[in-house]
Amino acid sequence: MANPCAGIAMRESVRAAPAYFDYAASTPVDARVAARMAECLTAEGEFGNPGSDHDYGAAAAARVARARVQVAASVGALPDEIIFTSGATEANNLALFGLANYYAAAGRHIVTVRTEHKAVLDPCRELERRGWRVTYLVPDRNGLLDCAQVAAALQPDTVLVSVMHVNNEIGVIQDLAAIAGVCAEHGAVRLHVDAAQSMGKQPLDFDSLGIDLLSLSAHKAYGPKGVGALVVSRKRGVQLQALQFGGGQERNLRSGTVPTHQVVGMGAAFELAAALREEEVKRIAALRERLWQGIGALAGVLRNGSAQHSVAHVLNVSFEGVEGESLLAAVRATIAVSTGSACTSATGEPSYVLRALGRDERLAESSLRFSLGRFSTAEDVDVAIATVIAAVTRLRRIGGWSARSAGA
Amino acid sequence: MYYSPLTRLHFERTECAGTLAGPPARRGSAGSPAQGTWVQFDVRTAPEGAREVVAAARFLAYGCPHVIAVADWIARAAIGREAKALLPLTVHQLREQFDIPIEKLGRLLIVEDAWIAAISAPC
Repeated sequence: MANPCAGIAMRESVRAAPAYFDYAASTPVDARVAARMAECLTAEGEFGNPGSDHDYGAAAAARVARARVQVAASVGALPDEIIFTSGATEANNLALFGLANYYAAAGRHIVTVRTEHKAVLDPCRELERRGWRVTYLVPDRNGLLDCAQVAAALQPDTVLVSVMHVNNEIGVIQDLAAIAGVCAEHGAVRLHVDAAQSMGKQPLDFDSLGIDLLSLSAHKAYGPKGVGALVVSRKRGVQLQALQFGGGQERNLRSGTVPTHQVVGMGAAFELAAALREEEVKRIAALRERLWQGIGALAGVLRNGSAQHSVAHVLNVSFEGVEGESLLAAVRATIAVSTGSACTSATGEPSYVLRALGRDERLAESSLRFSLGRFSTAEDVDVAIATVIAAVTRLRRIGGWSARSAGA
Repeated sequence: MYYSPLTRLHFERTECAGTLAGPPARRGSAGSPAQGTWVQFDVRTAPEGAREVVAAARFLAYGCPHVIAVADWIARAAIGREAKALLPLTVHQLREQFDIPIEKLGRLLIVEDAWIAAISAPC
């Protein structure tokens, strides 16, 4: 299979480094994106403050405007609907607190899902402390939400439904069209979508889906860290209360100097991601299947999340008879992956996402999330298969897994 | 998670993982996989003068790298020592030697319990 990015090999200069399988955590900035960003940093480039009323400022503002168009086009939104933020976490906070505060008189009930990112769940917990009520929906064992669950959860004073598009741990895709339809039927309910994992992996049309608020992140799509966006529907008349004040930038919703190089990087990355999406998805899906076929050959390996309704780049698996921290330690010299577990302390906190899917604590803890990306190769995948099989086999032998599972 | 060189050595190159075959050995275990840590020791003793000493030891462990590394170290270090229900080092000394976080002390106590259970078991 051909890699459309051949010649931009990520690890060319660091061949001894572990093979990277954590693209859902962060991606390297694409060299083409970095080149655009570099044009906005030094004295020879567009370094000015985009808010300044002189030629330097105007040049920077033009680059920001171009980036706004690129980001908007990649998600089917209008440029005026893009509010640049420091990332998806800030976008989620602005969406939740901004909307809840603005519409507080209309209602104080919010609906979300147990498998959302902490950047949604933690603001929801804080809103509960401040007097709002939050309903946390439980997805099915594949991680999917039924829109009937959303409909059943809506109350007369519900002001917001917040659902992520692509789950960061298991990669499942929620049916946004169906959920948006439920919200539309209810009238006053706004729909917020955390789409931090979607760009370049799954098509998304903000306007036609009827989404009110959409959170985006640049560094999950080969752009820089430290920049994201909240898309706020103008057509649907969504109003937010600002959370920070200062210079009135970004339609008074996000004061602070717009970081030209960051948003230019985001714009370039999103344009590239949209252009490469179909080809990349096809290539990466084949690599993921190769990975699953290889690892799945082991006994006692369970795939987490729907295989049918998931993005191409994420594979989350649990290994019976293996302790999670040891598994991660055993593979880390060769491959860089995330564990589904946050269990690196004695307190132990297995993945709440996998627990919500009904996995028991041990299986939730013994999971690995492989996420592939633009620079993943078949060679990387083969290294991962060999590494994981060797590590799991060894740890099971040390743990006497086959003996115990046989009833000894 | 940080692992000291000693932890990495005994985690990556476990020499005493397994069970003892052949003549009867004492066996004891502690903890459970369901709780996240389980350790089993097999210990074979032999008379040496007036003393009973450890002639061979093996372990099985389901747990974090620290648990596996310490269990391996104990199984190696016990050879030739008097077969007493005591570790070659206290759990606090082991924690210091392996540079293990204090919050994992409970897991080391499970390793110690497994050793005591094995040494105390009938042959």
